[in-house]
Amino acid sequence: MKEGTLDRPTFEAIEAYVLDRMPADERAAFEQRMTEDATLREEVELERENIQAVELGGLSRMLKGIAQQDREDERAAPRWTDFLKYAALIAGLTTAAIWWMNRTPLNEELYTEYFTPDPGLPVKMGTTGHATFADAMVAYKLGDYAEARAKWQPLLSLEPGNDTLRYYLASAWLAENNTAQAIPILEELSQEPTSTFTARAQWFLFLAYVRSGEEAKARTLPLDNDPTYGARVKAIKSELVR
Amino acid sequence: MGQLNTEDRSTPDTTWMDGFRRNDQIALRSIYKAHFPAVRQYVLQNSGTVSDAQDVFQEAIVVLWVNVKQGRFSPGTESGPGGFLFRVAKNKWLDVVRSAAHKHMKVVHNDQALDRGNDAPDDIEERIARLRGVYEKLDDRCRAILDQYYFERKDLATIASGMGVEEDSIRTIKYRCMMKLRAFRTAISGEESEAS
Repeated sequence: MKEGTLDRPTFEAIEAYVLDRMPADERAAFEQRMTEDATLREEVELERENIQAVELGGLSRMLKGIAQQDREDERAAPRWTDFLKYAALIAGLTTAAIWWMNRTPLNEELYTEYFTPDPGLPVKMGTTGHATFADAMVAYKLGDYAEARAKWQPLLSLEPGNDTLRYYLASAWLAENNTAQAIPILEELSQEPTSTFTARAQWFLFLAYVRSGEEAKARTLPLDNDPTYGARVKAIKSELVR
Repeated sequence: MGQLNTEDRSTPDTTWMDGFRRNDQIALRSIYKAHFPAVRQYVLQNSGTVSDAQDVFQEAIVVLWVNVKQGRFSPGTESGPGGFLFRVAKNKWLDVVRSAAHKHMKVVHNDQALDRGNDAPDDIEERIARLRGVYEKLDDRCRAILDQYYFERKDLATIASGMGVEEDSIRTIKYRCMMKLRAFRTAISGEESEAS
């Protein structure tokens, strides 16, 4: 490789060769020169790599643009699940309207402050229907709660005692702000001491009760000494007393 | 141009490879749209987010692109790039999951964890890192012109018209920018020679 600047005609000849813009006869002559000139071969490789570096920069920029566009399209595109969501929302709002009258703003504030939807499972179930379960879990993690419920509900018909399905079905309802649908499921799970979801179900049931103004029921849940939820439960209870 | 048929199993289709060699944006977008959903599904099932999936898939496309540019990609028995992209993206995600920061994550479909193959060998990864380092040396003005000429494959007259300058000015700026890269590379090469 030569020190200093490469002259412009040589640079442009190499460029035409690398970009395959050289006429066939010139290309043959150029390749003949390369076989005899190691410095020229080195320059060709260097320029090829520099051009590729620029191309890679452009490619990376373009890929980021596609990803960004994808995210925007996903947000903008109406899907059938959206209609299900709206239907569920209307049904939920109608039911919730009754509770709304009995609820104080403080309850709602506390619920909003402490409620975070369950992040979902990364694992598949070891029971039947796991592929559908996994698909539904992906929908859940994408925020398509109605789609997740639509896929989990038939599995629950096959395995009505499955605590994983019941817990995530309730989680989907809660994530859609439909505490009325979630409460009966969570009440059942809270009474099952052998389930791995018992404490979590009790925590979400506690929040659902707080939100719906059923503070007396919330206080009966044995969470005060729970290592994960105890501190938060006590904090909410003390807020409710004020 | 319509959507490319990237998975036609009756006839080996390498149209997409020509598209990659020419940086054809329609071909690149088509490959992205066709094969990203499988990777997204996999990453989401394994503790990741859509953003994580986009990151590893973009890296996989870059590995594929460099392989094609280097003449090292052989479709073999595969009719499209889908299998290659999925394997590379999956292995990259498994690397992330196994990293110290993600040890708490669980992997659902680890069936191909041993199937690392040779899709993204070290020399390709090193080349990608080196090319990125070179590109970093360019200032914004050089990038704007060189991107259009070498990546988008626009001619000098079109670039000049878009930037409101003479064609010859663009040609001169392009030459100077490329000489800056060459000077950087020769300096690095000299330092390496002295060190060894």
